[in-house]
Amino acid sequence: MASPAPKKAGAEADMDGLPGPAAPVPAAVPRGVPGPSSRGRGARSLSTTAAGWAFVTPNLLVLALFLFLPLVLTWVVSFQQASPLGTQGWVGPDNYVRLLSDPVFWRVLLNSVVFTVLTVPVSIALGLGLAVLLNASLPGRAFFRTAIYLPIVLSNLVTSLMGLLLFNEGVGVLNDLLRDLGGAGLPWQSDGTLAMISVVVMTIWTRVGFAMVIYLAALQDVPQELYEAARLDGAGAWQQFRHLTLPLLSPSTLFLVVMNVIWSFQIFDVVYVMTGGGPGNATSMLVTYAYEQGFGPARDFGYGATIGVVLFVLTLGLTALQLRSRTGEDRT
Amino acid sequence: MEISRRTLLRGAAGLSGAAMLSGCAGFSGGGSAGGDAGGGGDSLSMVTWASDAEQAAFTRLAQAFQERSGAVVDIRFVPYAEMFTTIDAQLQDGSAPDLFRVDYTSLGSYSSTDQLLDLSDHLDEELTGDLVPAFYEAVKFEGRPYGVPHQTDTTATIYRPDLLREAGITAVPDRLEDAWTWEEFDGILTRLKARLPDDVAPYSYMWQQAGAFRWLNWLFQAGGRLLDEDLTAAAIDSEAGRKALAVTRGLYERGLVPANTSPKSSVYADDAFVGGKTAMGALGNFVLPAVDTAVGSRFDWAVTYHPQDVRAASDLGGNALVATRQARNPELAGEFLRFMMEPENQKSFCEEAIELPTRRSLTESQLDFSVRPDLAPVYAQQATTLTPEDVAQVTVPGFGRINTALQDELEQCFVGGRSVDETITAIAENVNGITGA
Repeated sequence: MASPAPKKAGAEADMDGLPGPAAPVPAAVPRGVPGPSSRGRGARSLSTTAAGWAFVTPNLLVLALFLFLPLVLTWVVSFQQASPLGTQGWVGPDNYVRLLSDPVFWRVLLNSVVFTVLTVPVSIALGLGLAVLLNASLPGRAFFRTAIYLPIVLSNLVTSLMGLLLFNEGVGVLNDLLRDLGGAGLPWQSDGTLAMISVVVMTIWTRVGFAMVIYLAALQDVPQELYEAARLDGAGAWQQFRHLTLPLLSPSTLFLVVMNVIWSFQIFDVVYVMTGGGPGNATSMLVTYAYEQGFGPARDFGYGATIGVVLFVLTLGLTALQLRSRTGEDRT
Repeated sequence: MEISRRTLLRGAAGLSGAAMLSGCAGFSGGGSAGGDAGGGGDSLSMVTWASDAEQAAFTRLAQAFQERSGAVVDIRFVPYAEMFTTIDAQLQDGSAPDLFRVDYTSLGSYSSTDQLLDLSDHLDEELTGDLVPAFYEAVKFEGRPYGVPHQTDTTATIYRPDLLREAGITAVPDRLEDAWTWEEFDGILTRLKARLPDDVAPYSYMWQQAGAFRWLNWLFQAGGRLLDEDLTAAAIDSEAGRKALAVTRGLYERGLVPANTSPKSSVYADDAFVGGKTAMGALGNFVLPAVDTAVGSRFDWAVTYHPQDVRAASDLGGNALVATRQARNPELAGEFLRFMMEPENQKSFCEEAIELPTRRSLTESQLDFSVRPDLAPVYAQQATTLTPEDVAQVTVPGFGRINTALQDELEQCFVGGRSVDETITAIAENVNGITGA
C-alpha cells in the first residue's frame, strides 16, 4: 500500500482545482535563512486563521448558548424533581426508574419506532422515484417539481390543519368522498391504527418533496458516460438503475436516512394538531409525551427532561450506527 | 367545512410547543394595550389571554381605570398555550407582572406556593358579601382570598329543535327544576339514535383536553364526590362514581356520541355540533359566539338544562384576576381589582364577552349578551347549581395534575376498552398519589 505523500505548503493546483500529481515541489529553504516569502506566508497564515475564527466564533457562541447549554441543563434537570413553582431538588435516578416502569412511556416509544419505520423508507423511496421520473424530459416537469416540493414551503401548522380537514371522521373531505361514493366513513380519529396511518400519510406528504430535491441534485452529478458504457455492455433500464444509479446516490440516501430518522423521532406538530396523541395513546410520540409532562398541567420538568434525554440518546445512537455502517461500506 | 378558532389556536400552540421543545428559549408575548410595560409607581402591568371580545373589554376597562385614577394599566395579551409557562418563568426570575388572569382550577397552584398577594385587606364587605359563595371560595386558600372571581362560565345542553322534532321530541325542559332525569335523557338519546342518519350522533360532551374535569358534572349529579370532605384523599370509589362512569362510558359504547370526541381528541363537542354531526351538545356559554357564526342560518338551535340524577350540577368554568406577591404597588393593584369587580364593569365585561357574573346582584339581573341574549338565563340558572363543596374539590392545589390524570383515565375507559372498576381504581390511585394520601 502506497503511503500518501505529505502535503507541501504552497503546492500548486491544476486548472481543475485538483492537486496535480506532477506539481513542482518548491526547493527547501536553508534553516535560519528566512526566504523572502516566509514571513509573508506566516502572516498570511495567521491572518487566515484569525479570519476563520472570526467567522466561526459567532456560530459557536450561538450553538453553545442555545444548543449545548440547554442540552447539558436537560441532563441536569433529568436528575431533579423540578416544577416551576413547586419543590426542587435532586432525586438521583428516580426519574429514570419511573420511566422504566411507566407503561405509557413504553407505548409512546413503540409508537415512535413504528412511525419512524413507516415514514422513513416510504418518503425516501417515493422521493427517489419522483426524482428519477422528473429528471427525465417530461411535459410540465417544472410544475410537478414545484407542486411536490410545495409542502416543504408551507408551515407545518398549515399542513397539519389540512390533515385535520382531510381526516376528520365527522366532517372530513375523505369521509365525505367515501359517503358520496356510497360507502361508510372510516374512523380515522377513533381507531388507533387508522389514526396512525393518517399521521404517517401527512408526514410523508411533507417530506417527499425534500427527498426528491436532494435526489434530483444528486442525479445531475451522475456522469452520463457511465450510462452509455452500461448500455454498450447490454445493461437494461432496471440494471442501470440497480447497479449504477442507486450506488451513486448512496451518499444522498445516507443523508436522507439520517435526517428523516431524526425528524421522525422528533415529530410533534402534526401529531399535536391532528390527533393530540389519541385515541388513547395510539399516536402519542416521545416528544408529545415529553411536552405533556413538562409543559402540561403537571409541569413536571424533571420527568419531561428525562424523556428528552432518552430521545437524545436514541437519536444519537441511531445516527452513529448509520454513519458507522456507511464507513464500513466505504472500506469494503 | 369550518376551521374553528380553537383549531387554529391549537395549531399555534403546537408550533409554540415545538419551538420550546427544540430549545429555543423565550416566551414571546402577543399584543398589548396601554402604555408602559413593567408597572410600578402609578402604572400596573398585567398578562392575560383573551378572545377578541374579551380583549376589547379588557382594553376598554383599562382605559376607564386610567381616566378615573390616572394610572396606566399595560395589559399584555398572550396565547393561552403560552400563558402559564410565561407566568411561571416570570415568577421564578422575579419579573412577574403586577396582575394576571388564572382559571379557578389552576389558581391553587399559585396561592399554595405563596406567589400571590393576599387580598384580605384589599376587598371590602360590599364586594365579598355580594359574591356567590362558591366563587369566593374558589379564590381562597386557607381562608384567605388571593384573587377576585372575575367571571364564570358553564355548560348547558344546546340542541337542534328540527332534529328533535323528527324524533318525536316536541318538548324540552324550560325550568331548571324540570330538567330531564338521567332515565328520561337516556330515552331521548335512544329515540334520536333510532331516527338520525348513521353519521349524525344524538349528543356530544365538552370534556376534550383540559375540559376533562367537566366529567365531574356527571359524578356530582349522581351524588358522588371526587375528594373526601378533608380534600386529602380520593372519594370516587363509590356507587355514585361507578354509576356516573358506566353511564358516560355507555355513551361511546352505544354510539350516542361521536367516537372522535373522546377526552384526548382534537375534535371538540362544539366542532361536532356546528358541523351538523350531533343533535345536541353540552357546550359552554363561551363558545356561543363561535357557534352562532359557524352555524349561521343553516339550522336553528336553542339551549336547555343539563340532565339531573340525584341532583342538578354544573362545572366550574371561568377565571379569577390575581395580583402577584411581587406587585410593585399592591395598593394600586388592589384598587384595579376592585374596579374590575364593580357591578357595572363586571356586567359590561360579561355582556360583551358572553360570560357570566359572579356577583349575586348580577346573577339575578337580566344580562344583555351581545350574541343570543335569549340563552343567557338558562346558563345563568345552570351555574347556580354549582355548590361550594363542588368548587372546593376542583380548586385544590394539585388539581391541574388531577385533571390530566382524569383525561388519561377517562380516555382509556371510553375508547380504550378499560372497565369501569379498573378505571375507578386508577383514578383513585392517581388522585391519592397527587394529594399524598
